Amino acid sequence: MHFRIRDGVTLDLLPTKQFKTIGIKVDFVAPLTATAITARALLAQVLETSTAAYPTQTALARQLSRLYGASFGISVVKLGTKHVIRLTCSVVDEQYLDHFADTTPLFEQGMALLKAVLFDPLLPNGQFDPATFTQQRQNLLTAIKSLDDDKQYLANRRLQELLFIGQPAQAMSALGDTTTLGELTATDILGTYHDMLANDAIHVAVVGDVTADRVQAALKSWPLTDRQLVDDSPYYRWEKRAEVQAGDDVAPVVQAKLNLAYQLPIYRDDADFMAAVVFNAAFGGTPLSLLFTNVREKASLAYYASSSYNPFTGTLGVQSGIQAENQDRVVAIIGEQLAALQRGELSANLLAEVKASLLNARLAGLDSPQRKLVSLLNSELTHLTEPLQTWQEKLAAVSIADVQRVAQQVTLQATYCLHGGDQHAE
Amino acid sequence: MLNKQTYSRLGETVFQTTLANGLKVILVPKAGFHKTFAVMTTNYGSTDNEFVPRGQSEAVRFPDGIAHFLEHKLFEKKDHDAFDLFGQYGASANAFTSFTQTSYLFATTSHLHENLDILLDFVQDPYFTAATVNKEKGIIGQEIEMYDDDPGWQSYFGMIGQLYPREPLHIDIAGTVDSIDKITADDLYAAYNTFYHPSNMNLIVVGQLDPEETLAWISANQDGKTFGPSQPIQRVASPQTPAAEIVPTTTRHLTVNRPKVSIGLRGYDDVPAGQAGLTYNVAVSLAFDLLFNDTSDNYLRLYDANVIDDSFGYDFQIQRGAHFAQLAGDTDHPESFVSELTAILTDAPAQLLAAKAQFDLVKREAIGRTIGAINSVEAIANQYDGPLFDGATIFDELTVLEGMTFETVQAALAQFQAASRQTVYTILP
Repeated sequence: MHFRIRDGVTLDLLPTKQFKTIGIKVDFVAPLTATAITARALLAQVLETSTAAYPTQTALARQLSRLYGASFGISVVKLGTKHVIRLTCSVVDEQYLDHFADTTPLFEQGMALLKAVLFDPLLPNGQFDPATFTQQRQNLLTAIKSLDDDKQYLANRRLQELLFIGQPAQAMSALGDTTTLGELTATDILGTYHDMLANDAIHVAVVGDVTADRVQAALKSWPLTDRQLVDDSPYYRWEKRAEVQAGDDVAPVVQAKLNLAYQLPIYRDDADFMAAVVFNAAFGGTPLSLLFTNVREKASLAYYASSSYNPFTGTLGVQSGIQAENQDRVVAIIGEQLAALQRGELSANLLAEVKASLLNARLAGLDSPQRKLVSLLNSELTHLTEPLQTWQEKLAAVSIADVQRVAQQVTLQATYCLHGGDQHAE
Repeated sequence: MLNKQTYSRLGETVFQTTLANGLKVILVPKAGFHKTFAVMTTNYGSTDNEFVPRGQSEAVRFPDGIAHFLEHKLFEKKDHDAFDLFGQYGASANAFTSFTQTSYLFATTSHLHENLDILLDFVQDPYFTAATVNKEKGIIGQEIEMYDDDPGWQSYFGMIGQLYPREPLHIDIAGTVDSIDKITADDLYAAYNTFYHPSNMNLIVVGQLDPEETLAWISANQDGKTFGPSQPIQRVASPQTPAAEIVPTTTRHLTVNRPKVSIGLRGYDDVPAGQAGLTYNVAVSLAFDLLFNDTSDNYLRLYDANVIDDSFGYDFQIQRGAHFAQLAGDTDHPESFVSELTAILTDAPAQLLAAKAQFDLVKREAIGRTIGAINSVEAIANQYDGPLFDGATIFDELTVLEGMTFETVQAALAQFQAASRQTVYTILP
């Protein structure tokens, strides 16, 4: 069920008795800009900490416990040309509790909590609480640094910086960069906050055993205003380069992390989108794929070797953990697998298997309240809604020639290797 | 015959039976679900590295990492790989090895019968040769090195290693590059024959399924195979590190951006047998929630003093033959992290009493989270601990939680804490 709440504010409701919880998601969608990424990441972190009524994280945490362990969080997501601040809250459906004596049902209490977080944050003297602000800025700073301790993450981040050199909004991680962060003030964040409330597109979604009347009644008390949206494309289109950008760094790692980035200029609204999904699954997206089979199972060169496809940025990534001295061999094997698909060398057997695997994943997603909620944003941004039946027909129709046509559009753009240096050289 | 237990308020039913060959089968149908998740588990893990092989009389010490190696190799057959068989139907398959168990699993939204046969057949038909064993050494070697580069894993295993220096628990589940190099096909057969008898295994299936029909498929598959008689498994009891021998603290330097501290508490008390062990587990876990979760006064005080941050976490776990708690986090003030948390742990019974007012809140939270987990077929299957808590399921855990009192929590924490030993493992940049 789809509702327009205000101009620029929509509600999707997925009524079902399948789950023991009621899930709520609120997305604030703005254009992706390099300057806004860091400020919005910090704003999300500050909003998540406290509200006027729950002025410490302990007070907020206790309210969540009171709501039978309601899960609540705010995250930030980069999606093509968009930046999303996402609030999620999941509460137990009280019909499953052995004892429930509250006067208000948990769904309404969850909505009230989200309202408090969004519209009544801790703003003594009209500014974000200075102690909270300073602490959360520091926490975000350390969180960004700690992420780099995950060497697979670090290698991928460096690869994105190489791939999108000169395109800072795309190159940057969703949490932003430490330089900008260090300079942000509470006043900056307040501006970001007001801008988000006034101008972002807002998509609310609810899944669970709840009626439209209840959801709309809860939303009615939120002070939401009409907003004018620029309905621009969510797809980031970019010119490919003639030369491959290659980079490497020496770090004290035992295993080298090899990451490759390709352009695959097929977006979600493209006629070949489904073929691109199948291509990725056959290339490296599943354990049946050519990469897994050839790099890991046949050559024993890696434990992980996989690919991922982003239909909002037109990119394809490959990641593997290897011995540094095997880099050339692994790169060659990866290249051979792509070349094989470009020649149309894909067995009917593997094609059928990856299709079955994609169908299985799609149906399995229907059992996850979170995945059901998240998939709704894609439909909002792309204006594409597709019944399961149509999706299945499109999947079934993808041929080897379709996969070959997609593969021929894949161009290597960047390679990056994080390795241990001389101690691992031959 | 299926034994049926209904949890009517939750609208859930658990069916259980033990087949003639000893295989325990647990079936949990989930109305409205598309997916079915099946896990077949043997009560054999990385710590079972010294035992009397079936059909022999002397105990043998096997190379470290053999249970995990066997897990990898069980998928590969003479002329095919079990992954591909699942793949025909689009099912996703996986496996994992813990300290005390090895599990094989698949998730599917169609062809449940065929996928169950594939699971049972590949787990029950080993094929190991020198060639296939040697080929796997490169892959597992890379898996081990992947963990070598993971500071979180290094911190966790550093802590375990100090709590259990004499027990096999201190050895990495995958072994080392050197130890796996020694593994032979004969070793794998010896381990397989000893631990993969149906009487040492269970199969739990959760999701879209009809219990009678599913049991009929499983029974038909098992009736077509012959197994030797069930025999008692003779593990060599591991040496026990005396409490006085536990090294209180170690510091190691790694290239990390921030210090990582892991505090471990080893329990030397006896975990009650059977489902009473589950009550003990739930009670001690709630005690740690009261002392350290984000609703506690301790948490806010340490958070505001920048001693802990959002990376802070804790966990209490019981394995066959071992139970311990871990408190870990990234911190810019490792000394304060250790001294503050140690002070709370040392004074735990009094601290717990001081937090009594929060008991109902913490209990509410645990109940709500457990009910929420029932949304997930994976969570239901993974919560099943087989023989550890006498076949208890997530629904039994919920019942235990609902009946939990502060006094039970107090008693369990007092029992654990009085006989526990602490260690600290710090990783510095």
